[in-house]
Amino acid sequence: MFRTGIHMSHFAAMALFALLVSVALASLGRHTFQERLKYAVWTFLLFLIVGVGIAWLMYPLSR
Amino acid sequence: MASELPLTEQSAKLNPAIAFVIALCAWIVPGLGHLLTGRRGRAAVLFIVTAGLTLVGFAMRGEVFTPRSGDTFGTLGFLADAGAGVFYFLARSLATAGPDLARATGDYGSRFFAAAGIVNLLGVLDAYRIARARRG
Repeated sequence: MFRTGIHMSHFAAMALFALLVSVALASLGRHTFQERLKYAVWTFLLFLIVGVGIAWLMYPLSR
Repeated sequence: MASELPLTEQSAKLNPAIAFVIALCAWIVPGLGHLLTGRRGRAAVLFIVTAGLTLVGFAMRGEVFTPRSGDTFGTLGFLADAGAGVFYFLARSLATAGPDLARATGDYGSRFFAAAGIVNLLGVLDAYRIARARRG
């Protein structure tokens, strides 16, 4: 099973990682559904924004 | 009110050893510690997220670190991976094809394995805290 492995883009992998971790952190760190939803969405967006931001900062080094 | 707490949680307040057993259960099966303390929703989320991260890491053919990796990075990787409890042992026994570190996807898979362990370790600490205190 999965001998060749699945392949996804860098962004897709980061987004999937951000989604799963955001949900877990929201569940552990907040108590009501509203608080959890807000925290999960906010954390997910920050993961993506910071990830893309760091990627742009590193872009000159890759050339 | 102690009478409003789940039975296991009341017992843990009387005997700290029970809280330790709950934490151990939480490590072995992600979410089990919360289930024993009556937090079913949190238990389900922890189980699904830990299983999801492990499955994706496995599908990406990430590296599952062993206790005898040989260097500091490998040891840290093992400590993170082992946090996933039963999913770590499942991944180790099923990942017979070995890691695919020649591609970036395989390296991402290693990070997914580590994240699964770290998330579950956070869950273990939370389950222990709930078992020792009244509110979670």
